[in-house]
Amino acid sequence: MATADRRGNGRQPNRLETGGLIDRSLTLHFTFDGKTYVGHPGDTLASALLANGVRLTGRSFKYHRPRGILSAGSEEPNALVELRAGARREPNTKATVAELFDGLAAASQNRWPSLAFDLMSVNSLLSPIFVAGFYYKTFMWPAALWEKLYEPLIRRAAGLGRASDDSDPDTYEKATAFADVLVIGAGPTGLAAAQAAARTSARVILVDENAALGGRAIDDVAEIGGNPSHEWVKIVEAELDRNPEVRVLRRTTAFGCYDGSTYGAVERVSDHLARPGPGVPRQRLWRLVAKQVVLATGATERPLVFGNNDRPGVMLAGAVRTYINRFGVVPGRRVVVFTNNDYGATTVTDLTNAGAEVVALVDSRPQPTAEVQRLADTTGVRLISGVVTGALGRQTVSGARIRAHGGDTVELTCDLIAVSGGWNPNIQLTTHLGGRPVWDDRLCAFLPGALPPRMSVAGAAAGDLILDKSLAGGIAAGSAAATESGHKAVAVPVPASTAESDAITPLWRVAEPDGKAFVDQQNDVTAKDIELAEREGFRAVEHLKRYTTLGMATDQGRTANVNALAIMAEITGRSIPETGCTVARPPYTPVALGALAGHHRAKSFKPTRLPPSYRWAKEQGAVFVETGLWLRPSYFPRPGERDWLETVSREVTTVRNAVGICDVSTLGKVDIQGPDAATFLDRIYMNGLKTLAVGKARYGGMLREDGILMDDGTVARFGESHYFITTTTANAVKVVQHMEYCAQWLWPELDVQIVSATEQWAQYAVAGPKSRALLQKVVDPTFDISDAGFPYLGIGEITVGGIKARLFRLSFSGERAYEIGVPARYGDALIRRLMEAGAEFGVCAYGTEALGVMRIEKGHISGPELNGTTTPRDVGLGGMVSTKKDFVGHVLGKRPGLVDPDRPALIGFRPVDRSARLRSGAHFIARNATPTAENDEGYMTSVAYSPSNGHWIGLGLLKRGPERIGEIVRAVDPVRGADTLVEVVSPVFVDPEGGRVRG
Amino acid sequence: MDWHPPATLDLAVSARETLTMASFAAIRGKEEALREAIRAGYGAELPYHAARVAGVGITFVWAGPNQWLAVAERENGRDLEAELKEQLAGIASVVDQSDGRVVVRISGPRARDVLAKGVPIDLHPRAFKPGDVAITHASHIGIILWQTDDAPTYEAALFRSYADSFAHWLFESAAEYASTR
Repeated sequence: MATADRRGNGRQPNRLETGGLIDRSLTLHFTFDGKTYVGHPGDTLASALLANGVRLTGRSFKYHRPRGILSAGSEEPNALVELRAGARREPNTKATVAELFDGLAAASQNRWPSLAFDLMSVNSLLSPIFVAGFYYKTFMWPAALWEKLYEPLIRRAAGLGRASDDSDPDTYEKATAFADVLVIGAGPTGLAAAQAAARTSARVILVDENAALGGRAIDDVAEIGGNPSHEWVKIVEAELDRNPEVRVLRRTTAFGCYDGSTYGAVERVSDHLARPGPGVPRQRLWRLVAKQVVLATGATERPLVFGNNDRPGVMLAGAVRTYINRFGVVPGRRVVVFTNNDYGATTVTDLTNAGAEVVALVDSRPQPTAEVQRLADTTGVRLISGVVTGALGRQTVSGARIRAHGGDTVELTCDLIAVSGGWNPNIQLTTHLGGRPVWDDRLCAFLPGALPPRMSVAGAAAGDLILDKSLAGGIAAGSAAATESGHKAVAVPVPASTAESDAITPLWRVAEPDGKAFVDQQNDVTAKDIELAEREGFRAVEHLKRYTTLGMATDQGRTANVNALAIMAEITGRSIPETGCTVARPPYTPVALGALAGHHRAKSFKPTRLPPSYRWAKEQGAVFVETGLWLRPSYFPRPGERDWLETVSREVTTVRNAVGICDVSTLGKVDIQGPDAATFLDRIYMNGLKTLAVGKARYGGMLREDGILMDDGTVARFGESHYFITTTTANAVKVVQHMEYCAQWLWPELDVQIVSATEQWAQYAVAGPKSRALLQKVVDPTFDISDAGFPYLGIGEITVGGIKARLFRLSFSGERAYEIGVPARYGDALIRRLMEAGAEFGVCAYGTEALGVMRIEKGHISGPELNGTTTPRDVGLGGMVSTKKDFVGHVLGKRPGLVDPDRPALIGFRPVDRSARLRSGAHFIARNATPTAENDEGYMTSVAYSPSNGHWIGLGLLKRGPERIGEIVRAVDPVRGADTLVEVVSPVFVDPEGGRVRG
Repeated sequence: MDWHPPATLDLAVSARETLTMASFAAIRGKEEALREAIRAGYGAELPYHAARVAGVGITFVWAGPNQWLAVAERENGRDLEAELKEQLAGIASVVDQSDGRVVVRISGPRARDVLAKGVPIDLHPRAFKPGDVAITHASHIGIILWQTDDAPTYEAALFRSYADSFAHWLFESAAEYASTR
């Protein structure tokens, strides 16, 4: 609980002395537009503002008309505010759902310079040009002005609040929960459903978007099971909370229905606090997976469409009851109730009980129903059969102009107009998977059509607006869902409840309204705009929506859509079902991106893999680079080195002249065993492996099915039927996947077992003329690693300090080199041991940069050449491809396009001016040709400054490259503005005879 | 791996650092011989489905069709790769996994709540029990998960290089329970 004091109520002119679910013993202070007010725990920002007599909460989107609080829930179109300050500042929060906490700072939006005096309301005077479709009409031409002028202008004029520019200081998380029965909505229906399901011992999840459970059982005054309905809520809530198999998620909105009976929900764990507690997330995104779902989402009241129906002080009748009954706030003192249904009329009773004066009950139906007549008789309220044609007053309601059905017009002074146009069942989640709503003439509302699998709908969401039907429907749905999910039914009696009437006669809009009659208040769409859309041919609901923007605001038009299409139906003389309706997409209410990201942001966006020498390398001050998920040392700067190039050149020179060590554990390693392992690998690799002797390794390449080079690496044979292969770091997972596919699907007859061993071994390259001398100090002396005993491409199982280890004589650098592997837990110890043993030889560690320089110096291919478009021949490996066997990619690799001699092929380059720098990505153009796409002859794939040569060198794919050694071409790099003459040379820049690797 | 688990009585997290592990798969046609060898050598019945069974001084975790992971304490230099290669010569392919994976133990009344923040499967006692195994993921990191008792205690085997990321997720997810007592 936020800090609160007991200084008393302050002045809350509209707060009732008693009643409601707020805690009057505690006072919370908050500010709105800089002014301080007080409220109580249990309040929303909206209820507290109303208690303090604040009505004007914002300006509208297009016309900047004064707007107040229309509703008491998440359907609110008007009362959008900016909450909090600094890094936690958030725009467009509905005041009706923002829970009050001590110190809450809120500001109105969309007004300049102040809320009461808004200069932009001149838009209202210009409204003839701001009609539907005005964006399309006014800003069509010239297109160039859109970005530069129109859009910024519109955005500044319209802008719905400002988000913080700072990074969000709070944390978010995602979680999964499973249930036999998921109940969405904890009104009377949902509570009854959850209770019935839970009593069968089913696992139940009950979610509700509000902090308090109960829905209309706490918003209205009624009796359930002999108790006041809010007491009944407490009893059921206690029963559910006691049951360990029930999880009640309060402040949680189920926002989307997805495949597999999976629902997305966002829990506002800490939104009601000034800041989250230690370790507690701000919000939690739930993935709810349920065997059965009961949708008990209730219904949303429709406003009535009459003149100036957007004035602060025009409020949904149900919201008026909610403010009175749940929050102990009476939003007006002199009230006109305007309704087209019996349920709305009952608001008279709540208002009268709260001490307000109801100056008139205006019922649009030709004849008052018995229910309404009885209500008028018992309360003595003036009953007018007619309509409110307009709200009076500029910034807030000061009266109502009423036209009786006889034609008499009367103006009554009032400060609140409570309106009810009937109810729209909240069926959004039933349409997320494509279900189409069905029109119900009796209720004048859309009901759920075909439901998503395993969903049932109960209560008001299913059209059962009456309390006893809701309760019965909830119990039936909860029991059935539990039974369907495999539990034995337990009979639950339906509690007796207050009798109610849902009789309604539609009134979609008031004829000849006095003033603008709004349909979509958030996007400022009026009944006239709908007429205009119809006149201009946008009669289909989807066209109506896009042309007028109706229903496209953050409230998804929850109070607007049905009125709008009913008006369109009226204008076009069609029925509502003929007119059709739009369906909702997730999310039901807006979801913060932070919640969708959860834990996965910044460094945790994806997991990081750390190689075995990571800790040691960090101690050395290595600079790291992300390669896929791996974090590898890029180079190891030493004091006094000016830049990375100096460091990398020193590392290369050390390897070429003495010895260097590089962590190559990230290379993929796959253990392949089985009687058919040799045959299997022979079919996977493009080169012959049958002749590979036990105790030897060989370089190998593999193709994709389409003949393109997929990966390269080494194949080592430890036994007759035991191989150990390496892959590139990038393709480690893909190669195993490919092999599993081949083993399971292409050649199930081969007996082969494939296990990834990448992580089992910490493996270091020890490279340079002194590498053997170094290793002799490290490898246990029983093992002969002399050139005779351990020649180039030899492999063997050895021990290091008694630990089992493996030694491979392989070279990527072109120098005498080895790779030594130990079980990964010894990786840290081994790098320290190797560095210590190498000190006398001048050893250094080297990273991926030096590794890259040395492979370019030797003309070895890597990622830039293994790029998914090259064939073995393209990269100089044509000679390796076996002609004596079949293998994956063999057939398709012979396609004419892939063997075309004109294809760009790998060759080396050096700048004619040896001091020039080369750039990868530069395109090759014949010396005298213009640098255009049609003269393109290939491109530079890899470049490096070669310390061994003392100038930049490059590898590239050049049309017929190997035939053009000695030629001079241009390397054109328009991106960086370079045009360099380069000489075509052998791709092997160091030790072309290859003598060094053999020692 | 940096282990700074949040202090809470409701959750205990530890890394099992003293294990020897090896994966093995039957050679074609030797499936029954393999089962018999495990029965005779360790008194365990290799499971056909995602389950974990205990033998004498060893447990076997199902790891795929005809594939298992053997796990034991690394006492007295015990090396399961060497041991199983000898026991199962000619009937199974054996690969050392002692260092490829780390095993993290997560135990206590809050274990399910914490795992729910990254593991997308149902761990309710009606759905997942001691002896059950799942090959799944935690916060985008592949794991083999099994339950050992009703505390409840779970163990997750994950590739070693992911250990720090896994710990970061786990401890961040557990942070809200650190202050519960």
